[in-house]
Amino acid sequence: MKFFKRFFDAQRKHFSQGGRFARLYPFFESMETIFFAPADVTAGGPHVRDSLDVKRFMTLVIMALVPHLVFGIYNAGYQSHLASGLSLNFLPVFLKGVWIVLPLVIVTYAVGFFWEIVFAVVRRHHISEGLFVTCMLFPLTLPPTLPLWQAAVGISFGIVIGKEVFGGTGRNFLNPALTGRAFIFFAYPARMTGDAVWVVISPAKAAAVDAFSGATPLAISALAEKGVGVQAALSQAGYSISKLFVGLYPGSIGDTSTLLSLTGSVFLILLGLASYRIILGGVLGILSAGFVLNLFATQASLPWLALNPFYHLLMGGSAFGLAYMATDPVTAPDMPWSKWIYGFAIGVLTILIRVFNPAFVEGIMLAILFMNLFAPLLDHFEVKAVLSKRVPNV
Amino acid sequence: MTPIRIKKGYDLNVDGRPSDKIEQLPNPAYVAAVPEKIPFVKPRLAVEIGDEVKIGTVLFVDKRNPDIKFLSPGGGKVEQINFGPRRIIREIIIQLESEEASEAFEKVPEQLGHLKRHNLVKILLNGGLWPLIRRLPYRDIADPDEIPPAVFVSLDAGEPFQPPSGIYLADQKEFFAFGIQVLRKLAQDNVYVAARHDSREVPAEYNQWITHFYTGKYPAADPGVLLYHTRTSSDANRCWYISGQDLLLLARLLKTGRYPVERIVALGGSLASDPRHLRTRLGVPLAHLAGDRQQEKNIRYIAGGLLRGYIAAENTFLGYYETSLLLLPEGDQEEVLGFVRPGFNKPSYSRAFLSYFNTAALPMDCNRHGGVRACIACGYCAQVCPVDILPQLTFKAVLADTVEEFLAHGLLDCVECGLCTYVCPSKIELADILVQAKAAYYKEQTA
Repeated sequence: MKFFKRFFDAQRKHFSQGGRFARLYPFFESMETIFFAPADVTAGGPHVRDSLDVKRFMTLVIMALVPHLVFGIYNAGYQSHLASGLSLNFLPVFLKGVWIVLPLVIVTYAVGFFWEIVFAVVRRHHISEGLFVTCMLFPLTLPPTLPLWQAAVGISFGIVIGKEVFGGTGRNFLNPALTGRAFIFFAYPARMTGDAVWVVISPAKAAAVDAFSGATPLAISALAEKGVGVQAALSQAGYSISKLFVGLYPGSIGDTSTLLSLTGSVFLILLGLASYRIILGGVLGILSAGFVLNLFATQASLPWLALNPFYHLLMGGSAFGLAYMATDPVTAPDMPWSKWIYGFAIGVLTILIRVFNPAFVEGIMLAILFMNLFAPLLDHFEVKAVLSKRVPNV
Repeated sequence: MTPIRIKKGYDLNVDGRPSDKIEQLPNPAYVAAVPEKIPFVKPRLAVEIGDEVKIGTVLFVDKRNPDIKFLSPGGGKVEQINFGPRRIIREIIIQLESEEASEAFEKVPEQLGHLKRHNLVKILLNGGLWPLIRRLPYRDIADPDEIPPAVFVSLDAGEPFQPPSGIYLADQKEFFAFGIQVLRKLAQDNVYVAARHDSREVPAEYNQWITHFYTGKYPAADPGVLLYHTRTSSDANRCWYISGQDLLLLARLLKTGRYPVERIVALGGSLASDPRHLRTRLGVPLAHLAGDRQQEKNIRYIAGGLLRGYIAAENTFLGYYETSLLLLPEGDQEEVLGFVRPGFNKPSYSRAFLSYFNTAALPMDCNRHGGVRACIACGYCAQVCPVDILPQLTFKAVLADTVEEFLAHGLLDCVECGLCTYVCPSKIELADILVQAKAAYYKEQTA
């Protein structure tokens, strides 16, 4: 630590007033405060402050996401080796996963950090730690085959248009990670959807595995034939409930595991970092929408309608989206009842988009972005209702 | 009587709580009046350097209402008058003589029955204790010509650390009873005394005067909070309040005809060598109060409480309203990898540290514990606000200067407890922003 201390002290002169890189001070500050919490003291009452700061807040969210990253790395490698007919031993699988996933993560962080520094320097404000969470979330929602330049374009759009043009962290009304993903989802659908993008197949083996289908559960469900039923179609393709729950199947890098999303959301709720209202509201929304659709299901209707609602929770990243994306405090509503409604509406919309619009099976992403837009409105009405109960004091 | 339940609030569990011991301090060499720390007051000096003063001689009056007088806390010679920027009067320092003379004030008989209200007001004004009665919501000195909807007597502040009622009320029953009589006269019988329901801070013999019980965490005992939770119409918004210890002073002035200068002061904080209560006098030098303290490079002297108090230099004096002095480490050191530590000893409102399982009183310093960031809408401030303000929205309304909106948000109900700032992970000075806005609005109203 002494080495770092000396290093930062030696570099400080370049970044402080009059130094060569004075304008890059936000960069220096963000690097230094990773190692050394600032020595700033309170200027007046309250003289003591809570130990929690945004850095720790966001670090804990990242810690909740690390299992997803590790599992995603393993899963990407596993699916790749499975499809290519290679060894399924842990080490080669994991290394393969690292080879697939790490470049996406590194590119995302590099590009995201670049934009954040640009805006921090221009606006003369600090680098907000929310960026690190955004850059962690974004690659976890991508298909492992995505070209790196598309990931760079996606995170650029997410950070710049989803966040910075509105004033940066705290003032954005759309979840930046999802904004970026939605952008590449619509701009480059060929690399974001379909059966071919979810598994990296080694070129040498490509010919040998022609018959392999990398279809995700959502894709299989959407194509289930009438009369067969989604559940049957899923189990035919090898998707049992336990497989869906654990998440070892082709899909986006980090969002396949409902199990990890569940433990992650319990972690975040216990630590008070995510709103249980949003998560439970979302689960309720998904289940109740699924159940209502069950009531309308007949032999002739879409097979989706008859699907056991719990399956909806296990597929298509619903759990991941509810646990980490919907609970982003900045883009979610502030008020308690609004949070319930917001979560519930996300759940319902997810199902409706999935079931009635098979072209956009990624229901959860669109539902969250859509409800992001409505969060201020929900807040507006609840705040108005709360304030009307106050005894006026003017 | 059903207690008033105050659900929000937060009790800081800080190391350095004063023990129940009361120690009599010897007389200091100097005492001072500190006009700078009396909110809103515009002092006009009535003495010069070198003047001989007695205990109770007028030192300065409030230009806004010259009937409001502030008297000398000691007998002797005006040694020095310190001015701050823009000639604000900081301190009027008096060198004490060994034999202090005292001004004589009108004594009041045992029963107040025959005394007219305006005569009583006049005695209190002349006796220099009127400013102890303050008016919500701005916490300015009460207007002598006004009859308030009610007066709250605030017995326990709950803020770390103030002398608890159990300490200053011991053997003061007679004065307390008389003080309540005075308030009843002033407020036409609408006097509210609140005490905590679950613990017995207030001695049992005072039960006869208690009108409300409450449960809840800091700042449940604040008159503003009690008013917020009991009022039924906006007519009650301009209630008055007085602290329990100050009420005893009113009674003492009227009964003895002398300006009372005794105060019981809490000395606390992790750097105070023996945290305890001190029986001393108004305007005492802080160094005299602090005594010998644990040696540390940077000590912060806080007069008036951990959350609402102000930073005072060691060579200054305790103000008119303050009854506490805290010595805390400044905490101006960097912490290595601070944000990833498990934090068993890091006090936090959140559950993000292992200290959640630690029930011991934890040492705290004045470090801000993080950089200033934009609001991330975590909502902690709204969870702790005892009067249901939504600080994360209200502060934006204040910064956008939308007056109607921040008033509708209940800005004037703010009791200035400081909890919103304390819990904020983005380290935004929420309480400061709200308090400044309130004061600015008040000045605009009275200008």
